[in-house]
Amino acid sequence: MNPPSPTVVAEAPPETPPRRRPIRLPRDRHAIVDSFFRFQSLFGLVAVFVIAIAVSPVRNGENVFLSSGNLANIVRAVSEIGIIAVGMTFVILIGGIDLSVGAVLGLAAVGSATLMVDSGMGVLPTVLIVLFIGAAFGATQGAIVARLGIQSFIVTLAGLQAARGIARMWSGGLGIPIAYGDGPQEAPESFSVLSGSINGILPVPALLFLAIGVGALLVLRSTAFARHVYAIGGNEKAARLSGVPVRRVRVTVFAIAGLLAALAGIIHAGQLNQGSPNDGAGYELDAIAAVVIGGTSLAGGSGSMGGTIAGALLLGILNNILALNNIDANVQLVVKGLVIVAAAALQKLRPRIA
Amino acid sequence: MTDSPLVRMTGIGKRFGGVHACRDIDLTVRAGEVHALLGENGAGKSTLINILSGVITEYDGAIEVSGRPVSFGGPAGAQRAGIATIHQELDLVAGLSIAENMFLGREPRTRVGTVDIRRMRRQATDHLRTLGADLDPRRLVGSLRVGEQQLVEIGRALSLDARVLIMDEPTAALADAEVERLFATIAELRRAGVGIVYISHRMAEIEVVADRVTVLRNGGVAGSVDPKTASRDDIIQLMVGRSVDALFGEGRNEPGDVLLDVRGLAVTPRRPTPGRTEPAGVDLSVRAGEIVGLAGLMGAGRTELLETLFGAGGSGRRAGQVTIDGRPYRPHGPRTALARGVAFVPEDRRGAGLMLEHSVTDNVVLSALSSMTTLGLVRRQAVRRTVAGELRALAVKAASPAVATATLSGGNQQKVVFAKQLLTRPRLLLLDEPTRGVDIGAKAEIYRLLHQLADNGIAILLASSELPELLSLCDRVVVLHRGRTVAALPRASATQQAILAAANGDDAKEAR
Repeated sequence: MNPPSPTVVAEAPPETPPRRRPIRLPRDRHAIVDSFFRFQSLFGLVAVFVIAIAVSPVRNGENVFLSSGNLANIVRAVSEIGIIAVGMTFVILIGGIDLSVGAVLGLAAVGSATLMVDSGMGVLPTVLIVLFIGAAFGATQGAIVARLGIQSFIVTLAGLQAARGIARMWSGGLGIPIAYGDGPQEAPESFSVLSGSINGILPVPALLFLAIGVGALLVLRSTAFARHVYAIGGNEKAARLSGVPVRRVRVTVFAIAGLLAALAGIIHAGQLNQGSPNDGAGYELDAIAAVVIGGTSLAGGSGSMGGTIAGALLLGILNNILALNNIDANVQLVVKGLVIVAAAALQKLRPRIA
Repeated sequence: MTDSPLVRMTGIGKRFGGVHACRDIDLTVRAGEVHALLGENGAGKSTLINILSGVITEYDGAIEVSGRPVSFGGPAGAQRAGIATIHQELDLVAGLSIAENMFLGREPRTRVGTVDIRRMRRQATDHLRTLGADLDPRRLVGSLRVGEQQLVEIGRALSLDARVLIMDEPTAALADAEVERLFATIAELRRAGVGIVYISHRMAEIEVVADRVTVLRNGGVAGSVDPKTASRDDIIQLMVGRSVDALFGEGRNEPGDVLLDVRGLAVTPRRPTPGRTEPAGVDLSVRAGEIVGLAGLMGAGRTELLETLFGAGGSGRRAGQVTIDGRPYRPHGPRTALARGVAFVPEDRRGAGLMLEHSVTDNVVLSALSSMTTLGLVRRQAVRRTVAGELRALAVKAASPAVATATLSGGNQQKVVFAKQLLTRPRLLLLDEPTRGVDIGAKAEIYRLLHQLADNGIAILLASSELPELLSLCDRVVVLHRGRTVAALPRASATQQAILAAANGDDAKEAR
């Protein structure tokens, strides 16, 4: 638990005792080892993928796992968790956590259904309003964290309860079914695009997930905003004294998490053709799992978006292959737990960049 | 005492990969002796100490304790042999009381197996009394000042029956009064026959406290001298291997116009924080190209004043007038300060200056990112070029700009903090203990850098608890006492005595 003693850290390399510091390797070998750990979730993803092909049932000479229908299903199934996990990655990188995202998803699903079905709104205004609600909810939590200095765990735990409560009040506690058509109490047909696929192959939610994932990856790689995010996670005080707008970045990060949770909620409503206030329960934990498997440190300051995307896909493949082999859903949970621990343990073995 | 020394280390060697951290070092510690260990960072002090305290268990050579050969399996083994170490960063649990800390892991038990709190407190009190400290053993360690915490550590060592005490830079975080007290404690321990290995960068202390000095350089013993007879220059020369006349530069340009002017600055905190002394009537000015020193005892409010000027202090009602270039200056936060050309190098390098786990590059560019971005996108090429140039200019020694900053030595880490702040092109540089925990070679380089910056017209306000540093570096020394400026001594009339007298509030009225 304790960080390595700063006394040791501050001294010149030859003086440091080896006990406190991971093994130093020659530079070239070190680079290889380091990139393995940096992209561990990618290697894990490939490994799980290969294993899945190997253990997949074969029907009519065709590998079921590899069938395009199945692969599309996997990505569709992880798309909501994946989108939430993208937002969660930002939050965890600044050393925070957002427990409210699952509840915000439920709130957004209810909002989508209510606005279209009960208020007769069009798709675009509905989506914009719901996204705004999600972003505003996240930003409010971020502002409370930043202004009052309360830990994000507590603030978003409260946010979870509040979002769930608002969703129940808004919906009267019941799921609101979405019927399509032009009449009253019916949603515009175009909203059903969310449950469809492009060319019958790539599900729309999967496309959204991949697009957002790649976009976030680019943002994290090359923007000043991302440098600020990493800096706050690395040493908030140093970041503040260096002129990083810590509060603003923090509010933005939570707003992003809320916005993406709301988007996942819209997709959820579109896929299930209903908005229920209980939707998304526990999704926050799956999203955190994806981030952790992706190698992002819960302490903040280090991690990658590519890892998170790979982590989400890895979880999806795992669930899929276990289901294909008719393995009990409860066993799936245990396996998921083991994978999370294994991923975190791997990160512990990672040598520090020297 | 017997004739055989408490500790005799002979032919100690240790390699890390191809690097000799220690080679063929002999060191003896006798009962009742203070043996000072000197050397620049990387000279092998830490390795030697880690071997003696059982942290490093594989090495060449032999160790004898009271004439018997020993080989420690770990720090616990060294402790059993009576060797205790007091690290620079104290190993105390802030949320536990003094007594609980002293007996952590070996709490005395009652007959029913619960912790015998009363006995624990009594023994803690006894040990503290031996050290001349009258502290309530029920107090939380987190509420103690650093000097008091150190006493708790020493008390713990005593409770372990330590006969050899290793002290790693014990005065680094102490105010002068606390240093005096520590020296009294050391004298007490010495009388009791404890052998002390004393590591410090501060020459003046060594002269006062040490019976013998061993200087390490490049992993070997550069020489062993008697501090009563050897001159300071001799010792420094042993440490760096060359003469250091140029350590304290001279000959400076004439300062320019007044850049920073502070009149009657006072901050009434909204919620007073214990241990903080907010400015309570500060008058000072710094001209372009001038180095002004900020002296005062621990708790006089030096850090708080610098933080206030950087917009990073506690919130509260502010009185008085601060101007930069004659225009009012009221920083709301570090960002506004940086925008007005004010930069700050904080005292706590690790806690507030750097992201230790991040690369040198990440740290250097953090403050000046906006000058290296287009539409929010970072221009990698510009970053690489800027960082390379800055590292070269400050002669930062790092394997590459991509290594974690934690792998650099203290002096080089400090240069990284400087590089970061200088990239913002400041006109006023606020420095809080800029050479703390920095070896003498890097110190000289930092002094040279400060002179160079001042010659380029940058105004520097520098807080330091090392009086020789202030006296040699500064054009003027402003003395704080309880948050107020009590004296402003020009270079000609600034002496250690004058500064100390003012810092203690002796001639406060005179200076008004």
